[in-house]
Amino acid sequence: MNKKNDKRWTIGMRDAFADTIYEIAKKDKNVVLITADTGAICHDDFRKNLPAQYINVGIAEQNMIGIAAGLALSGKIVYTYAIITFATMRCYEQIRVDLCCMNLPVTVVGVGAGFDYNTLGPTHHGTEDIALMKALPNMTIFSPSDSIVANAVAKISYKIPGPKYIRLDRTGHPLIYSNENEDFSAGLKVLKEGEDIFIIATGRMVYRALEVAEKLSKLSIDTGVIDLYRIKPINTELLLDTIKQTKHIATLEEHFLTGGLGSTIAEILMEKNKSYKFVRFGISDEFCHQYGTRDNLHKLYNLDTDSLTRILSEWISK
Amino acid sequence: MTKKTTDFLKQKAKWLRKTVLEMTVAAGAGHIAPSFSCTEILVVLYYGGILKVEPKNPTWENRDRFILSKGQSAVALYAVLADLGFFPKIELLGFTQKDSRLGGHTENTIPGVECFTGSLGHGLSIGAGLALGAKINKKKYVTTVLLGDGECYEGSVWESAMFASHHQLKNLVAIVDRNGLSAIDFTENYLKEEPLKDKWCAFGWDVKTVNGHSFDELLSVMKQIRMRKSNKPLCIIAKTVKGKGVSFIENNPIWHYRIPVGDELEKARRELDE
Repeated sequence: MNKKNDKRWTIGMRDAFADTIYEIAKKDKNVVLITADTGAICHDDFRKNLPAQYINVGIAEQNMIGIAAGLALSGKIVYTYAIITFATMRCYEQIRVDLCCMNLPVTVVGVGAGFDYNTLGPTHHGTEDIALMKALPNMTIFSPSDSIVANAVAKISYKIPGPKYIRLDRTGHPLIYSNENEDFSAGLKVLKEGEDIFIIATGRMVYRALEVAEKLSKLSIDTGVIDLYRIKPINTELLLDTIKQTKHIATLEEHFLTGGLGSTIAEILMEKNKSYKFVRFGISDEFCHQYGTRDNLHKLYNLDTDSLTRILSEWISK
Repeated sequence: MTKKTTDFLKQKAKWLRKTVLEMTVAAGAGHIAPSFSCTEILVVLYYGGILKVEPKNPTWENRDRFILSKGQSAVALYAVLADLGFFPKIELLGFTQKDSRLGGHTENTIPGVECFTGSLGHGLSIGAGLALGAKINKKKYVTTVLLGDGECYEGSVWESAMFASHHQLKNLVAIVDRNGLSAIDFTENYLKEEPLKDKWCAFGWDVKTVNGHSFDELLSVMKQIRMRKSNKPLCIIAKTVKGKGVSFIENNPIWHYRIPVGDELEKARRELDE
């Protein structure tokens, strides 16, 4: 296939995920997609061509999860879809009891990671979802970094049992990977080895980590980058093996520092008695009332390439 | 209904209340009053020939689905399921005790239990999902959800009520145990729920109101659930008395939580034996 003619390679992870689920659903009538009145364009084909497998429950996320649970108990493989804040928080207790307590094959798909909805204010900022979802037993969490991972994760989510949460970006993305058939079963990818420091990043921040690594390399700081696209369960063995030669670890996420990726990595390193110099980058403990581009918002929290490069180079040189 | 049937159901209701009392007393846990208000409802569903279930094959794919959305009455449902042979009756003695799988709210790991409940406002959505699943899968089973009236304050109940009528889930039945009390007070004292029937009607449901302790009334409405011509889901508002069967427990908010001790226990046993 000529990749240039395949829109998956030029579209964002939301649309890549939607396209793949549509292809899966065409072949398996047991796949049902439920939306809480979201996904106007990305699910148009699904809505038009698979009406018996598509349900719009309206802006009623609690009911969406309950309906999903009932359908899963009837043998269906269910995907629920909404903006992250509503997909996870409005119906958190339904996800906990109906999906996780009963360990049902329902995938909660949330769109709008971090400041993806940069113009819509704190109600639409997906900044607590990792913390909330990782607290739930039985839950598997994916946070793709580009449309190729999103495509792979869509296929994985169809195959593995139990509840899943998938954290997607709405918008287009620079591609990090190039091979459609790359194996994403391990839960993380080492994108670049590094002797001086490893940056462990997730979602859109993986691309940022690669930019920072390139800049740090010019300052003679050999920087490794890990794409942690599966946040629960973390492949701890592979992670620790990858970082064993370095002394510095930084985590990078577009999420509150409280309970996010960085907290999770810190827990692992402490519990395994590993001694690293460790720093977390993410959104500090406040709601962001600022607007502008997503990059503008990143600058407010030192999540832009220049700030990250400056802070990390100073930190390592100490 | 024949006298023989009525006598059988009465006997089962009497046994169920006594069993619930002894299980909760032995455990020092469980909710007596909300179990007594739905005793006749459970008896009619399980012993009155309404629910099609197979105790020796609890996951039979064509079974009717029953969800105890008011999970606080788990003790009563567990007693019924054990009596029917879903699991050994001896397990009832261990209710909520160490190493028992029977807790204060229903878990779907227990044979005969469809759904994890205990958090209110979940059961009707799941029931609607099951009813829709039956429709999609062309299965004839009926899904019945038993809700508390206090539970009907949860907004999610009305989200699912709207969903069920839109999707014409005629294979879905909601029974509201309308005992007029929630955990700490009478519903009409703190937040008026009436006119409850009008609310369900407005959400697109057929609604029947019955005396929830009358076998005749319960049976006559429930026997119709498979042969209704309407495409609407059915709501049965069962007017009940919380704590029904023991005079001092009846209609008294504090008995949502309490378990009788000493003289109270002897009095309760005597009244249930009468």
